[in-house]
Amino acid sequence: MSDVAILAEHLSKRFWLHTARRTALKERVVRGRAPRAQEFWALRDASFSIERGTMFGLIGQNGSGKSTTLKVLAGIYRPTSGTVSVRGRVSALLELGAGFHGELTGRENIRLNGAILGLRARQIDAAMDRIIEFAGIGEFIDSPVKVYSSGMFVRLGFAVAVSLDPEILMVDEVIAVGDEEFQRKCFDHLFELRKWGTTIVLVTHSLGLIRDMCDQAAWLDHGEVRELGVAREVADRYIESVNDREVHAQPIESAEVGAAVGPARLGSGEVRITSLEYLGGDLKPITVLFAGAPCTFRMHFEAHSRVSRAIFGLGFLHESGANVAGPNSGRVGHLPVERGPGHIDFTVDELLLQPGTYRVSTAIVDRGHTYDYADREFDLHVRGRGDQEPGLTRMPGSWTPPVSVAQANPTLPAHPEALRARE
Amino acid sequence: MISTARPRSSIWSYRSLILNFAQRDLKSRFKGTALGWAWSLLVPLATLFTYSLVFAVIFRAAPPNFGNGRPGFFPVWLFGGLIPWTFFLIAVNTAIPTLLANGPILQKVYFPSYAPILGAVVAILVQSLIECGIYAVALLVFGNVGLSWLLFPAWLAIYVLFVTAVAASLAILNVYYRDLAHLTNVALQLLFFLTPIIYQADSVPAEWHGIPLREIVLLNPIAEFVVSLRALSYDLQAPPFFAWLAMSVWTIGAIAVAVFVYRRRGLDIGEAI
Repeated sequence: MSDVAILAEHLSKRFWLHTARRTALKERVVRGRAPRAQEFWALRDASFSIERGTMFGLIGQNGSGKSTTLKVLAGIYRPTSGTVSVRGRVSALLELGAGFHGELTGRENIRLNGAILGLRARQIDAAMDRIIEFAGIGEFIDSPVKVYSSGMFVRLGFAVAVSLDPEILMVDEVIAVGDEEFQRKCFDHLFELRKWGTTIVLVTHSLGLIRDMCDQAAWLDHGEVRELGVAREVADRYIESVNDREVHAQPIESAEVGAAVGPARLGSGEVRITSLEYLGGDLKPITVLFAGAPCTFRMHFEAHSRVSRAIFGLGFLHESGANVAGPNSGRVGHLPVERGPGHIDFTVDELLLQPGTYRVSTAIVDRGHTYDYADREFDLHVRGRGDQEPGLTRMPGSWTPPVSVAQANPTLPAHPEALRARE
Repeated sequence: MISTARPRSSIWSYRSLILNFAQRDLKSRFKGTALGWAWSLLVPLATLFTYSLVFAVIFRAAPPNFGNGRPGFFPVWLFGGLIPWTFFLIAVNTAIPTLLANGPILQKVYFPSYAPILGAVVAILVQSLIECGIYAVALLVFGNVGLSWLLFPAWLAIYVLFVTAVAASLAILNVYYRDLAHLTNVALQLLFFLTPIIYQADSVPAEWHGIPLREIVLLNPIAEFVVSLRALSYDLQAPPFFAWLAMSVWTIGAIAVAVFVYRRRGLDIGEAI
């Protein structure tokens, strides 16, 4: 018990959902007391403990009670029942720069925010230079924050919250703002804080973050703790459940998108793609594909006349716009297409695309002539299982154990047994 | 040290936060204006000038003599009543919207909801004290100074507590009943004329159609405070024991209401906004 930073016991939080809250006196007088509308339990009997110096992740779908939990832990909401015990000063980072006043300068706002976070003037002044440096806003520190760019505003907000030596830090996915460099700086800093013994509670939708940074995690589902344990395992079980639900959902969208030929089609039209279907390893239609799993892309077409030579192609574009891959049937030569409907399959043993959302283009061409081209007409969702790597695609390969220069001696066995890279 | 998510601390332990809120209010109030801080003096002086013009010149209102026996001077006499009234008026009007204005922070960080209210009142108090300084100088110019001035700190302490308690209750309730702000506006106008600020309490008829008018006027707590301040500063007389008792009772009552309102409604402001 001595090393527990936060102990939550049987936390419940109820909200009243008033159809229309009677904040006006007249309504209270005229219509009487508002009917006690529906109650809504945002949190129900949630218990967990968080050890000092660890990072605790809260995951769950929207509306599952993550943010409510965070607010109860931070003291912003009082639990309807149950108790929270906390050792140490809590600093909440639910919104960067929430307490800033536009007319005050950066420096004045640092003092104010420090006071809101419960610090003495002396402590704030001691941290002042560190904050200004971390925020990297230079001479702007003595200008009113209303002239700051949104990036500067956010940087200053983060710098204040993390530089004032918090003992317990609550972070609500706010880090997702700002440029990439700043984000990296933030995460580096969170890591650093944890090393120095700060307990961090992180609410996020990013399972990668939960896996990479958290020790323990809780999965909240409709206000109840569904899983509690090692972050990696909780995240894996959570993604499994989300994937399951998605696969079993009605396979409407993707399978039928583009069933009618879109107006944006290019090409002469002797043969047109009518739809694109995704099949799993068992050749059953699915709506989402899994990274690393076998799958088949089935292109349905309709030929209005016989085409003697055609090459079918697929184009995969990441939602960021990057063109990731463009496999085509040119490798197997020109294919004749008979009049009428039909389909052609493109099968991969292992989908190399990383989890994310992609747009798929299809094309039917012949040496510079285009029969049909559907530009980014189809949606493709790729989900992950287990570990994730950064980037748009995976790169299969193998790793050796580390070889020190001193040992890299020709008399030793040339290659220690290669370790297959973990998928 | 184990605590709940909300540290159980006294108002005193939040003094640094309250002062920071006060500083913020003071700094942001006149930012961007050409005259800046001068406004905090110009506005009350302009009010004083207007009332003096209307009542002393047009209505020929005669001020009572100074406590040192010299003939009175209307603007100075009026100032002694306007200062406490203005403090009450601005404190209430500033405090009422303050929780809604601080909504974004109250929803993101925990701190007691009274902190921004007290900060706002402290900021107003600073201005009122400056006015008190000018008033004191004016009285000195007329050589009107006496031992009764020593009672001023006691009077001020009680009045500040009273005003703060009223402002805090109204500010918290306004989160739940938003038309309180408008209602208060009307009430304050009525209260201004029901308080002997621009007229002397003696000039109110003791009885009017069987209604004890003067007693009703003097029943209002602000009247008690205004009359007492004038007595000890302008008339150079210690307010009677009964006045001190009445002021204390009003203040204790106001604090009791404020504590009740805070306990009942002030703890969940983060949700209610």
